[in-house]
Amino acid sequence: MNPIKALEDALSGAALSIEAAGSIDELDRAESSLLGKGSPVGEVRRGMGGLDPSERPQVGARLNEVTESIQGLIAQRRVALELLEERSRLTDDRIDVTMESLGFPNGSLHLIQQTIDEVVDIFVGLGYRVADGPEAELGWYNFDALNTPPTHPSRLESDTVYLDYGATEDEVLLRTQTSPVQVRWMEQHQPPVYVVVPGKVYRKETTDATHLPVFHQVEGLAVDSSIRFSDLKGTLAHFSQEFFGPTTTVRLRPHFFPFTEPSAELDVSCFACDGGEPGCRICGGAGWLEMLGCGMVDPNVLEAVGYDPATLSGFAFGMGVERLAMVRHGINDIRHFVDNDLRFLSQF
Amino acid sequence: MKVPLRWLQEFIELPTTDPGELSLAFDMVGHKVEGFDTLQPAWTDVVVGRVETIDAHPDADKIRVCQVDTGRGPEQIICGAWNFSEGAHVAVARPGAVLAGGLEIGQRTIRGVESNGMICSEKELGLGEDHSGILVLDGEPELGREFSDLVELPDVVFELEITPNRPDAMSLHGIARDLGAYLGVDHTIPERVLLTVPGSVEIEVDIEDRQGCRRFTGREIRGVTIGRSPLWVRHRLAKAGVRSISNVVDVTNYVMLELGHPLHAFDADSIVGSRLVVKRAAVGEELETLDGETRVLTEEDLVIYDDEGPTSMSGTMGGARSEVSPSTTNVLMEAASWDPPTIMYMSRRHGLRSEASTRFERGVDPNLADAANHRAAAMVVELAGGTVPEGSLDVIGTRVDPVTVELAVSEVNRIIGPGFARDEVGGILERLGMTVEGEDPLRVLVPTYRPDVTRPADLVEEVARIHGYDKFDSTVPIGQTGGLTTEQRRLRRLQSALAGVGIHQAVTLPFVGEDDLVRLGMPIGDLLQVKNPLRDEEGRLRPSLIPGLLNAIRFNVSRGAESVALFETGLVFVARPSTLDPRLPEQAERLSWAIAGSFGPESLGVGIMEADGPLSFALLRHVGAVLGLTGLSLSPATPPGYHPGRAASIELDGQAIGHVGELSPTVARAYEIPGRVAIAELDLGPLLAPIGTPQASSPSVFPPADFDLSFLIDTGSAVADLMSTTIAAGGDLVESAHIFDVFTGAGVPDGDRAVAVRYRLRAADRTLTNEEVAPVRQAMIEAASAMGARLRGA
Repeated sequence: MNPIKALEDALSGAALSIEAAGSIDELDRAESSLLGKGSPVGEVRRGMGGLDPSERPQVGARLNEVTESIQGLIAQRRVALELLEERSRLTDDRIDVTMESLGFPNGSLHLIQQTIDEVVDIFVGLGYRVADGPEAELGWYNFDALNTPPTHPSRLESDTVYLDYGATEDEVLLRTQTSPVQVRWMEQHQPPVYVVVPGKVYRKETTDATHLPVFHQVEGLAVDSSIRFSDLKGTLAHFSQEFFGPTTTVRLRPHFFPFTEPSAELDVSCFACDGGEPGCRICGGAGWLEMLGCGMVDPNVLEAVGYDPATLSGFAFGMGVERLAMVRHGINDIRHFVDNDLRFLSQF
Repeated sequence: MKVPLRWLQEFIELPTTDPGELSLAFDMVGHKVEGFDTLQPAWTDVVVGRVETIDAHPDADKIRVCQVDTGRGPEQIICGAWNFSEGAHVAVARPGAVLAGGLEIGQRTIRGVESNGMICSEKELGLGEDHSGILVLDGEPELGREFSDLVELPDVVFELEITPNRPDAMSLHGIARDLGAYLGVDHTIPERVLLTVPGSVEIEVDIEDRQGCRRFTGREIRGVTIGRSPLWVRHRLAKAGVRSISNVVDVTNYVMLELGHPLHAFDADSIVGSRLVVKRAAVGEELETLDGETRVLTEEDLVIYDDEGPTSMSGTMGGARSEVSPSTTNVLMEAASWDPPTIMYMSRRHGLRSEASTRFERGVDPNLADAANHRAAAMVVELAGGTVPEGSLDVIGTRVDPVTVELAVSEVNRIIGPGFARDEVGGILERLGMTVEGEDPLRVLVPTYRPDVTRPADLVEEVARIHGYDKFDSTVPIGQTGGLTTEQRRLRRLQSALAGVGIHQAVTLPFVGEDDLVRLGMPIGDLLQVKNPLRDEEGRLRPSLIPGLLNAIRFNVSRGAESVALFETGLVFVARPSTLDPRLPEQAERLSWAIAGSFGPESLGVGIMEADGPLSFALLRHVGAVLGLTGLSLSPATPPGYHPGRAASIELDGQAIGHVGELSPTVARAYEIPGRVAIAELDLGPLLAPIGTPQASSPSVFPPADFDLSFLIDTGSAVADLMSTTIAAGGDLVESAHIFDVFTGAGVPDGDRAVAVRYRLRAADRTLTNEEVAPVRQAMIEAASAMGARLRGA
């Protein structure tokens, strides 16, 4: 057959077979039958050598044109088919997005830890350091150095847990407050002192919905050359607003602690009812929540660690971590904190 | 302490009676209001009347016809009670009145005779249970007066929390003084006049223990008639939460509530002999107290003796033998003052906390004793009759004098200032009953009723308290060098990482049960024991965090959990000297985990890993990676409680820091935990210690050369050794090596494992050629061979 005629026939038939290809595979086959070995175009290419030299340029030129045209048509069809195939794959891939098939395990930090970290961070932001100390402690650090006389009722075996260890006069006990760490810190550091102390404390308590024999406190201490009562008030107001929310107001109420003078209890405005809603589930209608004990450091405490109470002054405060968390998260039974029920732990 | 408002108003003219406003004032002066009750009469329209005449009922013999004047002429009332006669003052419910329980009183006719109201009993008024007769009023109250006035209703009773440093505030007078100072109004003590007769007390007192008894005062009241207290006394006491006993005993409580000084009334005729001796008891002596209990005394108990033996426990409770009884005619009224710790210990020792002991253990003012005694004697005469000889007993054991404290105004301003002027400070202290002299410093004479005030700091507190804590500014000092330490930051990172892989942080009680130790096979010898545990469960401090975590897993399993992953950080205790302070026991901070069930990323709700030894090792490597620890190494070990074939001891840079592995199946069974449990316990200190600052090396841009080697290694040898040996032999070019297959069975000799490792070599500065890789590979094979690992197929 005339090679030119063969090329023209191939070109005119190509469009149809390319369009007929319904998949990339079919298109590949069509390509092979249009341009591959044994195809009419292929035969022309193969026969080029046997052509009369005068025909060669003309046939060669046409061969290239036809090949490129067919290739163009195939490429066009290929893009269209790829689009179609991708579209159908997306349809096939469709899943129920609401079904939870895979998951990452949810671990958690204990609410006590989260609360401590949050409290500590607020004070770190004010330039405080964080200290810890022994839970088995000497009577001197837990009581005497904190201006608590030997006859104070809190030292009775009915209130404090003593350990069967060491010399009797050392009174080795489980600390009843984090305050002994204040004393140890001041013994080891020169003023100014800005420190908070989170940790476990122990009391001889019967376990019930509001008492545990072991709970957590965060203690705070600031001692400097010009600390005044207003600094205590402002610091705790700042803390309360950070912890309970910016509209929180606070009040200090006179109280008594052996290691502070003047002493106070801090009440924060109820965040649930915004003050005085009768029968409020959080504050019971009082409008205030009793939150922590505090005061100006008693001069005897400063003296006990070798600080000069005539030139230095300070404030201290101590808050119950469980209480903070219970109030803020609506927890009605303190035993939840030590049951370690996963269904409780994973709520926070 | 319960404070009835209308009684308090006898001591102070309050500018308001609004309970809310008063609560705020109590709070701000330091006597926190725990709550208040508003009391209303349980009746309406009950007035005072006088029975003018009593006549028999024409048609009934159990009831009588009375003419009663309620201030508007006689009215006829039928009454069934017989405990009154003509002239009696009574409470009359007028027609239209409603009594307690909703009983409505109307005009009615009883057996043909008209009755215009009702004469009331206590029960009908809701004032008590007495229904034996009608209520006959004391004295001659004005006819027609509202009966509720006589029992001071309506009223408000405040429940105050009095801090333990304030003996003086456990009284209406003390409360009035504080409130007056805060509100700027005066306070007073309502007068009681005592008329005496010639003569003196016939009983002597000998204070042998002068430290224990600061002062003993006594007055005799002769010829009293014991009976019921009048209505107003009973109802004031009732509002204050004190039960009425008899007129004489009620007086002791009444005056105590007014002045804060406890009193005790003896039946003077029951005292054997004429001498009372105050001294410590002999061990084993017995004394029956007023509550009917027989107390076995110790040598620390302070007791009042008569000739027959102990007759009263000082400051806590009187003895039954000399108790005032209905037949008492002569009374010895005691107002004595006791050493606070003596009373505190004694009342706790005997489990006997009374109104008296709670005051004495705070430190009752000895200089108040005679005034209280005088007032009580006057009131006894008023309520029970009798005469009081002018000579009274007053023996001093330990004198307590007012102290003078110097206070510089600058000191006030240094602590609570600025801005306090001399006169403001002086004025506040004077309002509290202190005497102030001098300009600056102020010389302040502190009355003995304020034993809590002995130093300038105590005066500063008084100034702040009365000035009002709410009036101070809020300022914030800024610390200078705050922040977390490296250890604290690393602990947070560690905790977050463990939570991040799916472990919940637990907080367990730091005690351990003996059964826990037995189950885990832990030694008991070094346990730190509690001397005075409340419960046996709280008798031993934990030497390990593992038991607490296992108990928590058991608890969760018992509640239906199938997979439980917990970790805890906290102190463990051992009874040997601490490095921190040799007087203290060792207490080290540890990290532990315990994991049961499935774990890890979940597919259809189930973790893709199972808790077991290998999981524990993986977690340890994760901990090492998170904390940047390069020196962690494991070696097989058999610590107590662990699976003997799946446990390792951990070293960090050569220092032993704990154990990791799997719980012994026997122990798991004992804790009722199904399946395997991954456990570990590590010392936190070395884990958290600061590490060097890592220095960067830029990742190579050249391609790697990978090859696999499969070794046959004895199952008794550690694969870790194979890895470290071959990596070391490979030198600097080794980028990574990891095991991708471990196989035993067909083709592998018995007792061997086939371990296939993929090594990756890479150079920082060039593409490695085959000629470079081959000798490295060969060196690895030879090194492995030297330790007994043959190349498989070689």
